[in-house]
Amino acid sequence: MTAISDIDDDAVSKLVDNYQSRTYRRVILLLAAIALLAFTVVIDIMTGPASLSFVDVLAVIFNPSGASVQHKVIVWDLRLPIALMAICVGAMLGVAGAEMQTILNNPLADPFTLGLSSAASFGAALAITLQWSLIPGAGVFFVTGNAFAMAMVTSLALYAFTRLRGVTPEAMILVGIAMLFTFNALLALLQYGASELELAQIIFWQLGSLARASWGKVLTCVIVLAIVVPYFMSRSWALTSLRMGEEKAASLGVNVSFLRLTVLAGVSLLAAVAVSFVGAVAFVGLVGPHIARIIVGEDQRGFLPFSALAGALIMSGTSIASKAITPGVIYPIGMITSLIGIPFFISLILSQRQRHWQ
Amino acid sequence: MAFADRMTVTDIAGRSVTLADTPQRIILGEGRMMYAIAPLATDDPFEHVVGWKDDLVLYDPDAFRRFEAAFPEDTARMVNFGNPYSGDFSIEAVLENEADLLILDLGNLFKAQETGLIEKLDEAGVAVVFIDFRRDPTANTIPSMLLLGRLLEEESRAAEFIDFYVSEMRKVTNIVQTLPVDEKPLVFMENAAGWNPDACCNTFGSFNYGRFIELAGGRNYGSEMFAGYSSEVSLEGVIAADPDILLGTGANWSEARPEVAATLLGYEGDAANNETRIQALADRVGFRDLRAVQDGRMHSIYHQFYNSPYHFVAIQQLAKWIHPEDFTDLNPQATFDELHERFMPFETSGQFWVSLPE
Repeated sequence: MTAISDIDDDAVSKLVDNYQSRTYRRVILLLAAIALLAFTVVIDIMTGPASLSFVDVLAVIFNPSGASVQHKVIVWDLRLPIALMAICVGAMLGVAGAEMQTILNNPLADPFTLGLSSAASFGAALAITLQWSLIPGAGVFFVTGNAFAMAMVTSLALYAFTRLRGVTPEAMILVGIAMLFTFNALLALLQYGASELELAQIIFWQLGSLARASWGKVLTCVIVLAIVVPYFMSRSWALTSLRMGEEKAASLGVNVSFLRLTVLAGVSLLAAVAVSFVGAVAFVGLVGPHIARIIVGEDQRGFLPFSALAGALIMSGTSIASKAITPGVIYPIGMITSLIGIPFFISLILSQRQRHWQ
Repeated sequence: MAFADRMTVTDIAGRSVTLADTPQRIILGEGRMMYAIAPLATDDPFEHVVGWKDDLVLYDPDAFRRFEAAFPEDTARMVNFGNPYSGDFSIEAVLENEADLLILDLGNLFKAQETGLIEKLDEAGVAVVFIDFRRDPTANTIPSMLLLGRLLEEESRAAEFIDFYVSEMRKVTNIVQTLPVDEKPLVFMENAAGWNPDACCNTFGSFNYGRFIELAGGRNYGSEMFAGYSSEVSLEGVIAADPDILLGTGANWSEARPEVAATLLGYEGDAANNETRIQALADRVGFRDLRAVQDGRMHSIYHQFYNSPYHFVAIQQLAKWIHPEDFTDLNPQATFDELHERFMPFETSGQFWVSLPE
């Protein structure tokens, strides 16, 4: 007791002040990011080959019955689902990447580098070229269903395989990379035998597209996010401690194996749903979390929401760019995420003095 | 005497090819090349053909069954060289079948050059010639038919076919030439509409069906959007452009892909079934409110005209849809019937185009 009373009162209040100002700063940053995201979503809904003014769009959104049928279709059936799909998928990939990097303790982990995206692409290609449905009764959604099934199977295999040797992050990354190459090879095999029409579908799928967004898909994404993100948030202390090292986390009473398993399950669900709806989108799951880390650091309470926001922002920007390059022509989003995200990412790295990954 | 039969031809790629003798054992780079061979060697089109790729069987089973019914022994002995789009040819398989000529589609030129296929076959004494009915059909059909006529020693038949081709083409272009530019309606052509029930819209640029539309007196939406052969465009752009006429291509893809929503046009096309199908295509979100659909100016036409020398039939039908008043006397069905009477080893049947019912 004496030890505590010996501490300088000034130092304590300084510590408290520091903590409070850090928290305060984080809240401000969070609000700023949300405002920025809202802004890009508005721009996204405003952008399109049909010339609708801001007022037109607002009128259609808030008073659909007063709008012309064309405008209603454009705003409600085409633009809104795409804009919302972009932020949902971005957030899902951002969160998935963030927690993969956390549990695997590896800055290169994301659904793309671990082969989940390739697996999903392969599943979709199976449906497109060979008509194989992995989920019976999937109907017209069997391409999406296959993509989802393959991504889930892969992450389960990833986990099961690494269980054999104990859950070391290195083993998991290596197996993930092996998965990536395996599925890319299988995909190439299917492409080799695909017809002209099939090939166009596979390539479009592989490069990702928001064009197939629908309200049902948006709702599915929201539900998945609503299930997984609160769970991750509830484990944020344990996840933060994991970043200090496995032993330290264990000594703090964290069941590391169980945490890895449950988080991997959540991550797989996020990634599989996202990838099965929009195709393989590189870069977002990898870079979203890095941007978040640079801005708010490792504390999961800030890191997790920021990863989601960074991912959503990248995807929203991508959605705008994919429509703006040549109005009326659709460009695959996968190539745009890389093209617009990388310069931003590199500038962040260069402006950063200290190492942000320890 | 063998020397006397030596011939030098220039193929569609502009290559000069010398054949030691009239080819006796020919391999077709695409099964659909039979569309062009049948009018030249009508009595026995398979006489010199030893093998093909199985695209005709897979993507136009209706036409394949017509050939099969007329020449059951020939179709049964065809050696299958696999998928035409894989672009690759097993040189060993070509040699094993003692072929002396390989006819390839112009689209495979780059691949054939890159892989050294042409040189290797040349060393083995197998000639390679390129023909084209797809990339630039309206420019390449006549030289391709002339070339095939020489290779098959059916030059007078080729001349006869070309006479027919030119006269039928002129029935449209002579009238279109006289139409003022501002009387050219805007036409949107959906490539393989409903092939993927979940997605829209792949369209042609100023090539193939895009070019057919222009020759038939319409403005092709895709030609105004991008420079390439075909591309994905956004449905919103189509809605905003408000085309006067909405077209789509269809063929019997339902055997290879049961879920297709396309019109199943071809030798076994069923009018009632196709009316239901085009109605369903018109009912898709975003389509049902288009002016062209409301006005009943939505039509679907046989996809495989895009890769055959019979595209003049398609151009005639497009002209009737685009300029109904100017082409009242034109009867594309009669043209198609005459084509079969004079040049084909079987009769017409089925349905090759369908309009949205009133």
